[in-house]
Amino acid sequence: MRPLGVLLKKELLDVVRDRRTVLLTLVLPVLLYPGLLTAMGAIIAAGKDRLKNEPLVVAVTTPDAQALLDGQPTPPRTSWQRTPRAEAEALLRDQKIAAIVDAPEGAAQAVADERQATVTVLYTRRFDRSMEALDRLRPVLEAVNTRALTLRLEARQLDPAFAAPVKLEAVDLDFQKDLGPLIASRLLPVVLLMMLFIGALYPAVDLTAGEKERGTLETLLVCPVRPVQVMAAKYLTVALVSVASTLVNLAAMAGTFGAGLSLAGPAASTSMRFSVAQVAVMLACLVPAALLVSGVSLAVASMARSFKEGQSLMTPVLLVGLAPALLSQMPGIELTWGTALVPLLNVALLVKAAVLGTASGPLVVVTAGSVLLYAVGALKWAASTFDSEVFRFR
Amino acid sequence: MSPVIELHDVSRSFGAIRAVDGVSFQVSAGEVVGLLGPNGAGKTTTLRVLAGLLAPTSGRAVLHGVDVQRAPLEARRHLGFLTASTGLYERLTGREVLSTFGRLQGLDEATLVRRVDEVTQELELADFVDRRCGQLSSGQKQRISIGRAVVHDPPAIVLDEPTATLDPLASRDILELVQRARARGKAVLFSTHRMEEAEHLCTRLLFVRGGRIVAQGSAAELRAQSGAATLTGAFLHFAAGGAA
Repeated sequence: MRPLGVLLKKELLDVVRDRRTVLLTLVLPVLLYPGLLTAMGAIIAAGKDRLKNEPLVVAVTTPDAQALLDGQPTPPRTSWQRTPRAEAEALLRDQKIAAIVDAPEGAAQAVADERQATVTVLYTRRFDRSMEALDRLRPVLEAVNTRALTLRLEARQLDPAFAAPVKLEAVDLDFQKDLGPLIASRLLPVVLLMMLFIGALYPAVDLTAGEKERGTLETLLVCPVRPVQVMAAKYLTVALVSVASTLVNLAAMAGTFGAGLSLAGPAASTSMRFSVAQVAVMLACLVPAALLVSGVSLAVASMARSFKEGQSLMTPVLLVGLAPALLSQMPGIELTWGTALVPLLNVALLVKAAVLGTASGPLVVVTAGSVLLYAVGALKWAASTFDSEVFRFR
Repeated sequence: MSPVIELHDVSRSFGAIRAVDGVSFQVSAGEVVGLLGPNGAGKTTTLRVLAGLLAPTSGRAVLHGVDVQRAPLEARRHLGFLTASTGLYERLTGREVLSTFGRLQGLDEATLVRRVDEVTQELELADFVDRRCGQLSSGQKQRISIGRAVVHDPPAIVLDEPTATLDPLASRDILELVQRARARGKAVLFSTHRMEEAEHLCTRLLFVRGGRIVAQGSAAELRAQSGAATLTGAFLHFAAGGAA
């Protein structure tokens, strides 16, 4: 077996037997997504239920506001409380009431006289209960409006369509029924890039700074092997762990969604099934990205004297690395000829495009090619650190 | 007898600091040479140049006739290197460590199996060689480390303060390694701060100060040169700037 093969076997054996690496990169995702998303779904559902069933008090400031509401059934678990506006606002800020319905004197008469009345609902986004109160009030006030309009149209013997010449129907062609791809296009770029980094960072630190600290690196460097071979074995190991971690994450997420987990309520399902072409596009950028991240991680980790110092150095690497993933979620940022050349942002945008089915062939090639070029640069950087005496004895 | 370890006018600087300054010496087969000197004298740098871990600023290091700078890989095949800070891959078993390093040294599979068996027997590793190194006592780890350094049966053995952090039992393993190596005609070079080890094992001693060899000879000769009654006294004499 050639030295590279011997070294690679040794590194893989070492990493695979490291419980922390296996737990962090391979086991955790399998448990994390079902657990996390199920817990999130349960918490959201429980929160919604709790709010729906919570008794809420809504302040009604004037007799006119009360008169407008009286014509409609009171929403369940909601009660009206006559309170002057100034006092009601103080109570709302203190969370003693959930919302305020205010209408000026003469508002009820204005509606009756076929004029327009303004009804103000005061609420605050700071409290969920207040948002729930707004949700309960909205249909009541819409019903007041509809009833008044119907009376006016009937008085003139006009069809209800007269008051709504254009009826808007917004139909989402792709995601009306299945929100999975939409959610995945938001989640996947961030999660996959994060896992690429997490998968690479820990073994990179362990195999460089960790080895220095444990005094094992020197034992390799006094063998008849070139430093670049030692580095190549470590590089391949880190890249393999990083890719494996990313694939496990992808599978775990797909499995979680595929199990029918619903975060969007019963009206819409959330599934995530990828075609072979979509997976191929994602792999075309994720594998070079793993090589890029592995090279950068190894080069940076090599500068550390100890495992602890290596972890400290990796924190800014992780933050800088995740910035493109977060940027990819900003409105208006899409995969173009320009963004396809921006390292990691191009990966995040391509993953997003692949999930949404909008990735074009030439942009896939440009993205994968540019990431590969950056990976070569990172590899050269890592190789130069291994070849330096500073790395060996810092 | 032809020299196995040779340093020819080797110097090594770190910026403005000259850590090793024109050091020359040879170690022949069957000879054990001790490198003595205070901390910062240049002992470790000298040994690292010899192992090819550091490039000399000038001069030449040769192992078994092979120039370390010109043919580092070939030269390292003739070297067994062990330091006090040498660690073991704790998630690998002792046998995996020996096999990995044997393969890296270029042993073919038949020779590898034979050498791993020989080292296991010689260093009495059989009871724990198949356990992961992380589960071993410090003495057992030390013996695996020794095995790792000599699995390819090198003609030159270089030890950098190998007993510095060891208890007497573990130190004994190192000293036995040196004695066995000497008996088998190996050239051994080792640095130490323990004068009793140096006196007991070494056929010749080199005293290094400020990157230069300032005195050399047998323990008796160094005592005589310094006018001290003990080797420790000689050490203090030369370390303080005394002449040979």
